[in-house]
Amino acid sequence: MEIIDFIKVIEDEFEDLTPGTLSPYSVFRDMDGWSSMHALIFVALIDTTYDVLLTGEELKSCITIKDLFDITVLKINGGGINA
Amino acid sequence: MNDLKGKQFFITGATGGIGMVVVEECLKRGAVVFATGRNESVLDAQILAHPEFTFIPADLTNPDDLSSLIKLLPPLDGVLFGAGIIDPCPIKFIQQKHIDAIFSINFDSICLLTSLLAQKKLLKDKSSLVFLSSVSSEFPYKGGALYAASKAALEAYAKGIALEFSPKGIRANSIRAALVETAMFEKTKNALTTEEIAEVVSAYPLGIGAPLDIANAVLFLWSDLSSWMTGSVLNLDGGLLLNSKK
Ligand SMILES: NC(=O)c1ccc[n+]([C@@H]2O[C@H](COP(=O)([O-])OP(=O)(O)OC[C@H]3O[C@@H](n4cnc5c(N)ncnc54)[C@H](OP(=O)(O)O)[C@@H]3O)[C@@H](O)[C@H]2O)c1
Repeated sequence: MEIIDFIKVIEDEFEDLTPGTLSPYSVFRDMDGWSSMHALIFVALIDTTYDVLLTGEELKSCITIKDLFDITVLKINGGGINA
Repeated sequence: MNDLKGKQFFITGATGGIGMVVVEECLKRGAVVFATGRNESVLDAQILAHPEFTFIPADLTNPDDLSSLIKLLPPLDGVLFGAGIIDPCPIKFIQQKHIDAIFSINFDSICLLTSLLAQKKLLKDKSSLVFLSSVSSEFPYKGGALYAASKAALEAYAKGIALEFSPKGIRANSIRAALVETAMFEKTKNALTTEEIAEVVSAYPLGIGAPLDIANAVLFLWSDLSSWMTGSVLNLDGGLLLNSKK
């Protein structure tokens, strides 16, 4: 899985985001109108798309899109904060 | 209400923030406590060693665990149905697995357990059943539709029990709690920004709840002081709903 595809999945989900605005180093909590609902959508999106369930603690530990991507890849490969 | 000497209670979710405090309060008052949960290791060593305390580990969504558990219970004066999970999920992403996960513990397991308790005649006449519901059953929050629905179903089920079991004087009431400081709240906090947490907390005129606030209400509903209450839903919310129309 490439980070570029991961970003595309996110941009497709958040229709208000202009494609191409997110980079691996974007701080996702700085997205316009960020709220707890966005956090839930990130977790659900990653669960549905990659069959990876991030815990609240894992989400909390992520700052950038790349952090989210890295932890998702780690969990696809059987790792995780508590692994 | 203060003296529970010799009375026998069963508490599910006893390894959780609220259940654990209910266990402590019961033991302090001389009750005999049977408790269940999955993760026994979180319980205080003193409680585990208490002569009037019996812990029966069980995953309440597992039918084998349920039937083993039921064999170990004595006739009961009161039950607290406290086990539950919150697992938020935006509606657009809901799959069968999410519905199953929430409903299997928050609702299905309680129906099966109450049915078994009745079949095995483990509910004494005039016993009192208490169900832990949530204000979200009436005032849902974004991402919590499944949780809210499971608690609304639970409240309706508790009313059904109140009606069916009334000939034996068995009472059934729900506590509709707002935010209580437990692991469940900690989990919720992980998804919130600092500003959102502050906003949530500031909506409570009396502050958010402590497990003891709920335990006190459970003891009241188990006691004769509430002997004319059945099929009720008790709001315990630190005044949160006073602000609900703003
Ligand atoms: N805290 C709140 O703000 C709040 C507000 C309103 C209503 N409530 C309700 O109050 C109840 C207790 O909440 P809490 O705050 O004490 O939650 P908690 O600390 O997260 O504890 C949840 C309890 O449920 C048990 N449980 C979960 N799944 C289970 C399963 N499959 N089999 C057996 N036990 C299971 C857990 O056991 P293990 O940990 O051992 O697995 C634990 O004992 C819940 O029904 C909740 O919905 C809580």
